[in-house]
Amino acid sequence: MIKPPQSIRWRFVLWLAFLLICILTGFGFTAYQLHRTNRFDQLDDDLERRVNALSIELRTPPNLSGRRGDMSPGMRPPPREPPPDWPAPRGGPPRDFGPGQSAAPGFGFEINEVRLSKETLSLFDEREADGFYYVLWSRDDGSVLKHSTNAPTVVSQPERPGRDTGTRTRTRGTFREAFHYTERGNCILAGRSIVAELQATRRFAAWLAVSGLGVLAFGVGISWWLASRALRPVSEISAAATRISAGNLSERINVANTDNELGQLANTLNSTFARLEGAFAQQKQFTADASHELRTPLAVLISESQTTLARERTAAEYRSTVEGCLATAQQMRQLTESLLQLARLDAGREDLRREKFDLAASVRKCVARVHPLAKDKGITTQTTLGASECVGDADRLAQVVTNLLTNAIQYNRPGGEVRVNLETREGVVVLTVADNGPGIHAQDMPRVFERFFRADKARSTGGNGLGLAISKAIVEAHGGTIDAASADGSGATFIVRLPILQGG
Amino acid sequence: MRILAVEDEPRLLRSLAKALREEGYAVDTADAGDDGLYKAENSDYDAVVLDVMLPRLDGWEVLDRLRKKKPTPVLMLTARDAPQDRVRGLDTGADDYLVKPFDLPELLARLRALIRRSAGQARPRLELGDVLIDTRARAVTRAGEPVTLTAREYAILEYLALHRGEVVTRTGLYEHLFDENDDTLSNLVDVHIFSIRKKLGAELIVTRRGQGYCIAH
Repeated sequence: MIKPPQSIRWRFVLWLAFLLICILTGFGFTAYQLHRTNRFDQLDDDLERRVNALSIELRTPPNLSGRRGDMSPGMRPPPREPPPDWPAPRGGPPRDFGPGQSAAPGFGFEINEVRLSKETLSLFDEREADGFYYVLWSRDDGSVLKHSTNAPTVVSQPERPGRDTGTRTRTRGTFREAFHYTERGNCILAGRSIVAELQATRRFAAWLAVSGLGVLAFGVGISWWLASRALRPVSEISAAATRISAGNLSERINVANTDNELGQLANTLNSTFARLEGAFAQQKQFTADASHELRTPLAVLISESQTTLARERTAAEYRSTVEGCLATAQQMRQLTESLLQLARLDAGREDLRREKFDLAASVRKCVARVHPLAKDKGITTQTTLGASECVGDADRLAQVVTNLLTNAIQYNRPGGEVRVNLETREGVVVLTVADNGPGIHAQDMPRVFERFFRADKARSTGGNGLGLAISKAIVEAHGGTIDAASADGSGATFIVRLPILQGG
Repeated sequence: MRILAVEDEPRLLRSLAKALREEGYAVDTADAGDDGLYKAENSDYDAVVLDVMLPRLDGWEVLDRLRKKKPTPVLMLTARDAPQDRVRGLDTGADDYLVKPFDLPELLARLRALIRRSAGQARPRLELGDVLIDTRARAVTRAGEPVTLTAREYAILEYLALHRGEVVTRTGLYEHLFDENDDTLSNLVDVHIFSIRKKLGAELIVTRRGQGYCIAH
């Protein structure tokens, strides 16, 4: 069994071809029938006209009497032509007029008995074999009274349909015949060969078939072209998508016409690809950064240990190496924990508690915790804390506060100031941490919450570049927002907004 | 041999410098890209160990700008190990590439090879008549007998041997053997040469008066 083709173009063309075939067949059949009916109706009319003419002739007295001269002049229709010159029966083999209809012995005589007018005879062209012919049967014995010379050899007398005198038609082989019984029971038949009609109808059918096939071929061709044209963007989209899935994420679908449905689809896909590319690039950058951040301390550990082990050292040197390694290992631990926490927050798997607590108290504790660091750099801290009942994970939010405070201290100028403000406005807890250090460059602004982003790239400031990213993730997990604002040279401000009711 | 190490992780830079010094190299350090580029452009180093992730000017940029001025051999050090990063490094003009975390012995071996190749010597053993220098083991033999040299003496001998047939000025020798923190007097070079001649024969190193020293082909 052949599987139907799956291509949309093929299906479209096949369906259209099917539809065309149905329409053309219906149309062709109707046209054929009409043509045929038309042809035969005309023939039937002609035949009927001749039968009527014969019938009229037969019913006129001279004929009815069967004897010439018996006719009284008054019974003849007035403009009577002089008696026609009855043609002598032509020679030829005796005709067989069907079973039971054999020519009567007085055949030749009988023919002379029936006189037909010239007018009527002119309706039958006896010189042509394919022309109209007639056969007359007598009512008495069913014998043939008269027939035209071109009548076919075998013409059966039609059955008489009751007492009906109407004219009927029949098709007998390649002949079409109309017949009629007179009231007296004589049978009149006019016929003609329909070979010409049959040929014409056949020719017409052939012409119909050929032109139908032509229209079909043309239609299929047009529909193929249309389908190809309509589907070209689809194959372009498909090719582009294939290239993209092969790893070339920067590939885009070429959108020529954005107005139609396919253009819109291409646009939608393009924007999806752009987002995907962005996400991939971000993921790649994050992986590269994470691997860099993990490899560097590892490099320190290995090189430090190998250098120390290369030769004998004093106890103090060993001690210093071990201390260095420990510090590096702790840095790695912190980084690993941060990465894990980020991964959990990303996956929404960080178990955040939902409890009521006083954020102000929490902030106060954090400020106290970072106090030594601030003192080292000669930085003063100013706090304005309104009571702020909050629902959420106190530890995680304290982590956010500590992160922001540490940043504010580290990126401050010596002797600078950190202002912490906490208030509740319209159901939202707003925490502001501001410093008056050098601030954030405008071009760095969109990236401050990016993972591993460091404004100065130098490791000397400490931290692993994940603090703000984690803070953002935690705040967002609480349904809040975190924003940064900075005017160059006048410090940076971080604003955390937490909805007061968490529905938990 | 004088080497410049550019690395922004202070602990790694310290331990790297320490290891290199203990190998007998004179080591200068820089912890930022611009600083490293300045030093590399203004001194003749035998090799530069260059980290990729650097503040202010990253390793690629440093390498690119340095290559416009000098062919100093550069060994790139990076935490990125994607093949395209390596390709990019080598295409930009790096002579070698090492991924963090690296093995110190490997780093040292690559540096030795880099220095040898840049001096036009492919083999690790240098033969000067009956004197044989094994740069791998940093050992010298004379007629099959091991000769003990101090680190400085060995460094001078190796440098002259690698640049065999060239006259090396005293300042040049000094620059390649002492790092920026060394304030030894330059006539110390003469003292070391005298000591080497005593151990390996007077005719090995030729003095070109007014020009410098040379080991003949």
